[in-house]
Amino acid sequence: MRTSGEHRTELEPTPTENTVAFRAADFSTLCEALDYAALGQTGGNFYGSRGDLSAVLSYADLREQALSLARKLLSLRLDRGARVAIVAETDPDFHRMFFACQYAGLVPVPVSASAFMNGRQAYVAQLKALLRVCRASVAMAPSEFYPFMAEAAKELNIPHVGTLEAFERLPESQESLRPSEPDEVAYLQYTSGSTLFPRGVIITQKAVLANLNEIIIHGLKLRPGDRAFSWLPFYHDMGLVGFVLGPMVSQISVDYLKTWMFAMRPLLWLSLMTRTKATISFSPSFGYQLCVKRLRRDVASTFDLGAWRVAGVGAETIQSAALAEFAEVLQPSGFKASAFMPCYGMAEASLAVSFAPRHQGITVDRVDPAALSERGIALALNGRDPGSEREISNTRPFVICGVPLPGIQVKIRDEQGTVLPDRHAGVIFLRGANMMSGYFDNPEKTREVLSLDGWFDTQDIGYLAEGRVVIIGRKKDVIIINGRKIWAQDLEHLAEELPEVRTGEACAFSVLNPNGIEMAAMVVQWREGNSTRQGEFAHRLQGLIGERFGIDCFIEIVPPHTLPRTSSGKLSRSKAREEFLSRHGPAILQRKWVRRSASTEARQEESNPWAASSR
Amino acid sequence: MSHYESILSQLYEILGPYTPDGHSLSEDTEFIADLGLDSMKVMQLLLDTEERFDISIPLNIIPDVRTVGHFARCLQQLVDRG
Repeated sequence: MRTSGEHRTELEPTPTENTVAFRAADFSTLCEALDYAALGQTGGNFYGSRGDLSAVLSYADLREQALSLARKLLSLRLDRGARVAIVAETDPDFHRMFFACQYAGLVPVPVSASAFMNGRQAYVAQLKALLRVCRASVAMAPSEFYPFMAEAAKELNIPHVGTLEAFERLPESQESLRPSEPDEVAYLQYTSGSTLFPRGVIITQKAVLANLNEIIIHGLKLRPGDRAFSWLPFYHDMGLVGFVLGPMVSQISVDYLKTWMFAMRPLLWLSLMTRTKATISFSPSFGYQLCVKRLRRDVASTFDLGAWRVAGVGAETIQSAALAEFAEVLQPSGFKASAFMPCYGMAEASLAVSFAPRHQGITVDRVDPAALSERGIALALNGRDPGSEREISNTRPFVICGVPLPGIQVKIRDEQGTVLPDRHAGVIFLRGANMMSGYFDNPEKTREVLSLDGWFDTQDIGYLAEGRVVIIGRKKDVIIINGRKIWAQDLEHLAEELPEVRTGEACAFSVLNPNGIEMAAMVVQWREGNSTRQGEFAHRLQGLIGERFGIDCFIEIVPPHTLPRTSSGKLSRSKAREEFLSRHGPAILQRKWVRRSASTEARQEESNPWAASSR
Repeated sequence: MSHYESILSQLYEILGPYTPDGHSLSEDTEFIADLGLDSMKVMQLLLDTEERFDISIPLNIIPDVRTVGHFARCLQQLVDRG
């Protein structure tokens, strides 16, 4: 890896204090923003698996290197707006290529940099699907991912495939650069679709800057002296928009740790934040949970997290109890529970829709469960005497994600599309200058979710509580595990690849395990009644799911004609889930699988050799 | 005991807590299909292994690792290089 400090013996991180005046993303393009940030001294810093500083890239160096690379890309004579797929490993080469595309009028497409054990084939297939749907003209991967990318690109005849070094060997074109303009596409983000049917969110320069401007001013209330820290992957909206673009458009320094290094040594997050005195860092709930799991209480005081003023939480259902535990365990480090900032957003909105107010920590809305399930009304119990202990435990606490950013309109609608009043639950719709223009090359899917007058159907279910956004569930068939979205149809498709399963005979959905954590479950129809063979089958299917998605999935094997269908014969995932939950309590999920016999309809739970294992 | 066998037996020790009761480990044991490791457990296993052998495991070898025996051979190369 190249570093900007090759001539120095020891790298120095970029400073927190800057020499240019703070500007809150009031730029019309990302290039304009980088031109300004390059006048200062701040930039990005990359840390290694032992907490060592491995590379430094100031915004000034980034601009210079991106401009030079842009001229080299021009020599390829690509069409304006041609897609450049980049394996988005946390590495300065990602920044170089991403911003070279901006200066050259090309469209960068960050793609996943994560593969699972024995998952080579699956990862190559995923890359291939992405390269195909975005019709990439160029594919770039850091050297450790290059063999996978080269394999994926081979059959697709992608004309230009290489590591960054390969592109740097190109001659610089003499033509003048024409950077991407305000109405042109800033990037495509492939996080919203499944791996099987990827959907590329189209975000223009105008849209992403509109969102970043409001995030910085109204959400984070950023100011000079702030410093960011991130281990979030660059191929997700929170990692890319929040921590690659966000710090640059506000000219603050940012420190990075690779996602897998965090997953392996989560406490590096805390020790590096102790060292860098970062003030802003975000994570899904699971990241905070992982720290608590690995942290010995007696070492909590060795960290100094007093500077951490915004500990953002988003991307999956917010686990308020887990966050409270994090704050409690790390109280000796100076971490303040009031630093937690729940937020709501998605790639289709560039990044963020709403933030809870600063310095308030997690606020929950306790509602009457009967009124919610029977009438769809989130009747607040806040302020009312809850009476008995029993009544408290009977209320449903939902985390309040704050008021929407000023430029974003939020409406809650019922199934018929009627707009609902405050505290009535329905589907969340959004409109604003920050929204995507559509899904790339997919007018059908775009029409499904984006109306002609600009309203976007999030397929999230929630309500507004005195104008503040509260999420209670989702209509879309997605299972979120450790902050990662897994699509039900991808799991089902995997099952259908097995000779035992016919199309439409597998149904996957999300369930909560006894600890209240989301996990995947799948009901599979199979004629076979022999329990040994069923067990082998469940085992094989779980192995495939593990290789492709790196998750556990509970399997239930049921006789044919068990799965519920809609009137048009389509599988009903919500009904299947409902029926599954009526058959089993959450304790069943501690097993690996279960079967339901055809003859007796009685539940026959297999004795489970895994139950006593290390989980 | 050869170098490889020594690495393999240490790997068996590391894998103890990940092994379901009644399951015995061999070179052919598969991490995902037999031990049912999810991605977070794989990360924990890599951490345990790095610390035991004092090596850094490059992440790009992982997608090609299926069995315990294969992983032990990868570790042997890393230790020898180290």
